[in-house]
Amino acid sequence: MTELKINGKSHTVDAEDDMPLLWAIRDLAGYTGTKFGCGIGMCGACSVLLDGALTRSCVTPVSAAKGKAITTIEGLATEKGLHPAQQAWVEQDVPQCGYCQSGQIIAAAALLKENPHPSEEEIRAKMVNLCRCGTYQQIFAAVKRAAEIQGAQS
Amino acid sequence: MSEIMNISMSRRQFLGLGAAAGASVFLLGVTLPAGCARVEQPQQAGELNAFIGIDEKGQVVFQNPFIEMGQGTYTSIPAIMAEELDVAMAAIQVVQAPPGPEYKIMFDNKMRFTGGSLSVRSSYMTMRKAGATARAMLVQAAAEQWSVKPGDCKTEPGTVIHTATGRKLSYGELAEKAAKLAPPKDVPLKDDALFRLIGQPVKRTDSLVKSTGAAEFGIDVKVDGMLHAAVMQSPVFGGSIASYDKNAVLKMPGVVAVEDVPNGVAVIADHFWHAKKALEKLPVTFNEGDNANFSSTGYQAKLLAALGEPGHVAEEVGDPAKAPASAAKKIEAEYHAPFIAHVTMEPMNCTALVTKDRCTVWAPNQGVDFVVGVAAEITGLKPEAIEVVTPFLGGGFGRRFVMDYAIQAITLAKKHPGKPIKVIWTREEDIKHDHYRPMSAAKFSAGLDKEGNPVALQVTSVGEGPMSRLMPAFLKNPDLDTSVYEGTVELPYAIPNKRTNVVTVPVKPVPIGFWRSVGHSQNCFYKESFIDEMAHAADADPLEFRLKLLAEQPRFKKVLETAANLAGWKGKPWTDQQGLKRAMGCALHESFNSIVAEVAEVSLNPDGEFKVEKVWCAVDCGFAVNPAIVMRQMESGICYGLSAAMGEEITLEKGRVVQGNFDNYPILRPDQMPAVEVEIINSGAPLGGIGEPGTPVIAPAVCNALFLLSGQRVRSLPLSQYTF
Repeated sequence: MTELKINGKSHTVDAEDDMPLLWAIRDLAGYTGTKFGCGIGMCGACSVLLDGALTRSCVTPVSAAKGKAITTIEGLATEKGLHPAQQAWVEQDVPQCGYCQSGQIIAAAALLKENPHPSEEEIRAKMVNLCRCGTYQQIFAAVKRAAEIQGAQS
Repeated sequence: MSEIMNISMSRRQFLGLGAAAGASVFLLGVTLPAGCARVEQPQQAGELNAFIGIDEKGQVVFQNPFIEMGQGTYTSIPAIMAEELDVAMAAIQVVQAPPGPEYKIMFDNKMRFTGGSLSVRSSYMTMRKAGATARAMLVQAAAEQWSVKPGDCKTEPGTVIHTATGRKLSYGELAEKAAKLAPPKDVPLKDDALFRLIGQPVKRTDSLVKSTGAAEFGIDVKVDGMLHAAVMQSPVFGGSIASYDKNAVLKMPGVVAVEDVPNGVAVIADHFWHAKKALEKLPVTFNEGDNANFSSTGYQAKLLAALGEPGHVAEEVGDPAKAPASAAKKIEAEYHAPFIAHVTMEPMNCTALVTKDRCTVWAPNQGVDFVVGVAAEITGLKPEAIEVVTPFLGGGFGRRFVMDYAIQAITLAKKHPGKPIKVIWTREEDIKHDHYRPMSAAKFSAGLDKEGNPVALQVTSVGEGPMSRLMPAFLKNPDLDTSVYEGTVELPYAIPNKRTNVVTVPVKPVPIGFWRSVGHSQNCFYKESFIDEMAHAADADPLEFRLKLLAEQPRFKKVLETAANLAGWKGKPWTDQQGLKRAMGCALHESFNSIVAEVAEVSLNPDGEFKVEKVWCAVDCGFAVNPAIVMRQMESGICYGLSAAMGEEITLEKGRVVQGNFDNYPILRPDQMPAVEVEIINSGAPLGGIGEPGTPVIAPAVCNALFLLSGQRVRSLPLSQYTF
């Protein structure tokens, strides 16, 4: 049995150490907002935060997450409301099929924490997750908008 | 789906197909049952018609016959209905309609699927009538309660008002009573001038759930007691399982069973990781069958050889064979495009539960009746006993018409009655077992007079299309598969002598399918590249050359001019302030009854690396029901088409697909995405589609710019094989 701290809640899961964190989060802890896209850490649909650090959970074994705070898309909102990135995503109608957007928003949250006022170039350098619907242009715009929302809140 | 749906599915022709296609579609050899497939349900309180239910709080439940895969049907379709019903979008909960005859609203109420860029244009009047009829029933219910005439009442969103006295009743208060009234016939529709939703950039209804992780996709479905399965299909198409040693893995953690599925084997376990891990350890041997020598290069050679065959005539105008003899200048070129995969971000998956007298399938699908068809076939149950739940689709692009993944889940669930089983494909399985856009080739030859005016154009289009493979009953002539040659006929350009010949070159054993914009996706690349070649042969500006040939085609001309003006067209390459060489390329194409022009600005650095910097797009789809969604679908189509043009290619060696994941099947990355600017032209022409027409135009626009930059004419995709 392994104890995982997901979105501030403790989950005891029956996971072998080599089980990818993605599947423990989805199939054992039941948070399905984090998606399976490639299984080789290339697309970013599985992105989560591990102690705040952007992590591709499909290539991260459960053992590497022990004792760390795992944040999934379901854990981004607080009592005060949606995360600025989520607000911007909704405001700008970014999602199309939506499948990659959990990972995109998690990546945006990680970027905005590290760099509250990213430039266009910095946004493009950090937002590298794949999207098949072609929402890239809207993602870049939404990150910019999220930075404004975050700035206005702080 | 293919252009055939538009061209040959007029009412009369559809009926002409009679029993062959009237109620059945062949998909993977399974016949779709003709009967009613709706699970019997009593009418609910407040159910005004098949599409609209209103609860006592005024919440509208809208049963959407179309699935949402990103293209915006969960916004645009309810908005059309809400315009006439007179409710706010916020009052609507959009749900996926179950299977049932009342939701077959396409092609004379005989079909239901989501594809062919058909959702809005095929249901526009149906949805307006559904909304208007329900509104009339609510007004009548209020009028009866007040003992006044319905004509003395009006509505504001969600409320009926007695105009003279200002008395009000909410739709929630009226719905139960209204639902008992007989639906009136021929209710007048709203005057277009009064529209408040149609034609407006109505916000998407699914943005919130897709930004919080709450949206449920097929892969997320949770059912009590659910087991998970990982599958391995024969790596050689047409092969089969020879043997496997299930005892080698049955004792592995979580493993429940190892079972045959059509064309492969599945491991069932308590969760997906256990199933996948055991499958990797399962000793399996396959019979390779007859196709172990198939290679994509071998098939390509066959296609190129077929370019010299006469074939069957799909279109003939004037005397194209004779005309070139008198031409001052002749040009000829062969074009080619590879097999490519759909690669939806959500890999194929399906969950099924079979009991003695019932089957429930949770299937991301583009045709719910196709799911019912395969479930009935496999379980032997009547369609009425089959329930299908369609969650959000993590992309479709034409892949989820074919039911192979659903067949696996239902087959496994039948072997384990009472146990819900979810099948998930790995990305490798997804890429290696797609139903690919077929490889194709075409030969173009043209004659120009001494002023550079085209006098003749001959096209030979070769390959096999998904229409003849998956929907043969829809073809008027089996030798003329529209999905092979669509986009090379009925060209808007004034060319007095024109012919398209078609040579069918069967591509079995490779599974082929409908890939966003289908035959247009290759043929627009060929045709618009060759028109560019003609322009350069005539020593003309590629834009001016096209505009001159469009003098009699005001819609096409306006679309191309609009894109060119938006771009600030430059017909010659230039060097920017950083010393980077830049050029523009343009292309114009009609598909799915919409006309799209794109201008691409491309840069080329001294190392020979190019970048698509910006794309300007103009679209005439008749009328933009939701301009925000139209713009995003253009962006999306450009991304999808550019992705394919840049680096997508499926190759086969020894009967097997070589590629398997994003490391060797690269899709467009964010840093490769150009800025896109879109202008919509509301011409008032009949509604055209929007999900696909943006896709085909980008490849030739980019390649035409690359020609100006490098002098190299791209006649084969993807671009990753070239050095500039």
